[in-house]
Amino acid sequence: MAKDRLAGVLERYEAVIGLEIHTELTSLNSKMFCGCPVAFGGEPNTRVCPVCLGMPGALPVPNEAAVEATVLAGLALDCEIAPFSQFHRKQYFYPDMPKDYQISQYDLPFCGLGHLDIEVDGEGAKQRVDLDGGPYATRIGVTRIHLEEDTGKMVHVGGSEGRIAGADHSLVDFNRAGTPLMELVSEPDIRTPEEARRFAQKLRLIMLNLGVSDCSMEEGSMRVDGNVSIRLRGETELGTKTEIKNMNSFKALHDALAFEIVRQADVLDEGGRIVQETRHWDVTAKRTSALRSKEEAHDYRYFPEPDMVPFEFSAGWIDAIRARLPELPDARRERFMRDFGLSSADARTLSEDVEFAAFFEEAVALAGTPLAKPIANWMLGDFSAYLNAGTVALSDAKVTPAMLAELVQVIDAGTISGKQAKQVFTEMAETGDAPGAIIEIRGMKQVSDTGAIEAAVERVIIANPDEVASYRAGKTTLIGWFVGQVMREMRGQGNPSLVNEILVKKLG
Amino acid sequence: MSISEADVRHVAMLARLALSDEQITRLQGELNSILGNIEKMQELDLEGVEPTSHSIPLRNATRPDVVRPGLSRDLALLNAPQAENGAFVIPRIVGAEEGA
Repeated sequence: MAKDRLAGVLERYEAVIGLEIHTELTSLNSKMFCGCPVAFGGEPNTRVCPVCLGMPGALPVPNEAAVEATVLAGLALDCEIAPFSQFHRKQYFYPDMPKDYQISQYDLPFCGLGHLDIEVDGEGAKQRVDLDGGPYATRIGVTRIHLEEDTGKMVHVGGSEGRIAGADHSLVDFNRAGTPLMELVSEPDIRTPEEARRFAQKLRLIMLNLGVSDCSMEEGSMRVDGNVSIRLRGETELGTKTEIKNMNSFKALHDALAFEIVRQADVLDEGGRIVQETRHWDVTAKRTSALRSKEEAHDYRYFPEPDMVPFEFSAGWIDAIRARLPELPDARRERFMRDFGLSSADARTLSEDVEFAAFFEEAVALAGTPLAKPIANWMLGDFSAYLNAGTVALSDAKVTPAMLAELVQVIDAGTISGKQAKQVFTEMAETGDAPGAIIEIRGMKQVSDTGAIEAAVERVIIANPDEVASYRAGKTTLIGWFVGQVMREMRGQGNPSLVNEILVKKLG
Repeated sequence: MSISEADVRHVAMLARLALSDEQITRLQGELNSILGNIEKMQELDLEGVEPTSHSIPLRNATRPDVVRPGLSRDLALLNAPQAENGAFVIPRIVGAEEGA
């Protein structure tokens, strides 16, 4: 409903959206300020210590790998890296936070202004009614990236469906408490729900490429909140914003923002006012609703964390982190287009995932650059379909780069037909046998020997004088039937294009 | 600058402190006396002195990303007023934000 009405609303109103994206640094061994392991799930309160339980006298010490990962992320997004930074205490009370303050960063975060370029195509591009509806690229500013600690988790007992409302009491598990948490704040440069989705998706790809997080929205290692306001087109003043939480998938992010834009337009159209508040996305009801919260404004009383000294990053230290930057998807995509002549779309899909891209490059290295295109086609076609259909991950797949390289080579050499190649691929994905072995065992070798094909063609012509007469009388559509006869004669192993060519010559 | 009675009540509320009227009056006086001392210090000529939050000349104190043993669950829960299924039990949350 909201989606159907979004287009109409966006004709009259411009949406102004900023995102806050929390990413747990799940690839680290230990927590932000203590040596407890970073992991997902597990038995409650089995990864805790005096520091992450907030016991009096415990001394938190920052994890150097977490600091480095945050600066690495900042460099990947062209952020300014602060020469002087420090941690602050953010005071508020909530049962999942044992110290009654969160160690976070305030006015001196590790990373300042940066940006992320996104591309929007397909249906979603039409949300920008001020543009021509076609694919476009746009730059979204990054305000800052800072580092903090995650909270514990609560389970609500009694009442319905584990929700706070109506719960009898709650259980707190501090296994997650103290997990290194990186928070990125974007500039309010985002104009449509689709742009918000693309921004979050691209950020996720970059974090995955940096290897700092598994970025699972399902498990909550990547969490996206959105600030959204609307204003009449042409208006320069910002409208009152609301903050949307609980968007646990990219689709939820898009749909929640779309709903909220339409809701705000309805309020304004009826002469109402937008109330600045936090709203919760209900994925089942497909609507946002205001959270019950106290009227008082948040007053976090930030002050510098006295247990930790400030940070001063030297230019040399920052350069050393910069040297660790891996090739990012955009750069890899351009290289694939340049070096292998791939289309922009193919290069994008191949370059997004680190492992998938590495698989492709390894296969190309083995088969030779001229075969890059067919390798790309197999990877984006049958191989992707195979990976998407089953439960097999790329890392567990029986197909290796060497096997794929061999397959495109035997096709290129004309040893097997395209149709046979598909059978070989299916078999090789199931068994892990090399293409050569499969072709040998199945007797699939395609015959490209013109002498053998000519002999078969002769036999077919002699055996079918009536059809030959019809063909020569002008019924040239019979060629397909002849090809079929010759292929049968050759037990399916004739090279179809050669068979066709020789038939036309002999019949003509 | 001085601290009003309302300021004391606000700060007490933020810190979840239930104070009696007498305590508020006493704290208002004590806090204003501390502020008075700070105002006295403001008279110093601090031209060219950078503000600082830490008095020791140490920077970038971190620890390596290494796992160290923590507390056993039994020990972790020892001080909990109530525990259930290995978790800390907390009373019903009234009027709280959800999904914070």
